Amino acid sequence: MLLFRSEEWIDKWCQRNHLERGEVLTIQQVWELSKLWYHNRLSLDYHGRSAEQVAEIFRQVGLVSDFWYIQR
Amino acid sequence: MNDSLLWQIRHFVYSHFADTTHAPSVEETAAHFNISTEEASEYYKELHNRHAFFLEPETLTIRMANPFSAIPTDFKVHANGKTYYANCAWDMLGIPIVLKCDAVIGTKFTESNDPIQLEVKDGQITNHQLLIHFPLPFSRWYDDLTFT
Repeated sequence: MLLFRSEEWIDKWCQRNHLERGEVLTIQQVWELSKLWYHNRLSLDYHGRSAEQVAEIFRQVGLVSDFWYIQR
Repeated sequence: MNDSLLWQIRHFVYSHFADTTHAPSVEETAAHFNISTEEASEYYKELHNRHAFFLEPETLTIRMANPFSAIPTDFKVHANGKTYYANCAWDMLGIPIVLKCDAVIGTKFTESNDPIQLEVKDGQITNHQLLIHFPLPFSRWYDDLTFT
């Protein structure tokens, strides 16, 4: 995942690298996602996540498109 | 394989990253738990298979314990008087959350290589209008983690 200034530059970068455009989130959106994703990573009780738990995190931050679909 | 020890080793690896900014070798982990290097190697492989952390191909060297990177990257996170490396633009935000502290993040724009500094303070992030591109759908994230 890479940092960009604008949508225009993302399109140029994808064209230059012959890649399809993925999904674009603001830093603020990724910050909210990170809080749910990483808050307990240093805990001894963290044993990874089920697909259902990952899907719930995505849902909580509004990531519900096919791009974020999780096979369960 | 002892499931309790498996997760203790995962916790040790993450705590080691947080304390020192780098990953413990399999020998350091074996010594910490008073087990053989061979046994520690099996736990490392199992944790890799479970996506708890990721080894360099065909080795027992930890490359990533997300959000931490064991090798220098363009995503530097200065926190608690130390400098950590993150794996990507998402993970650079994850490090201050894992550490539960303020941070200054030094990175660059992908399109221009212009440097930029972000600040995490009191649970808030600056420059919140900047963009992060996720090139692959979630279902393909683990196909090639270095690319992802």
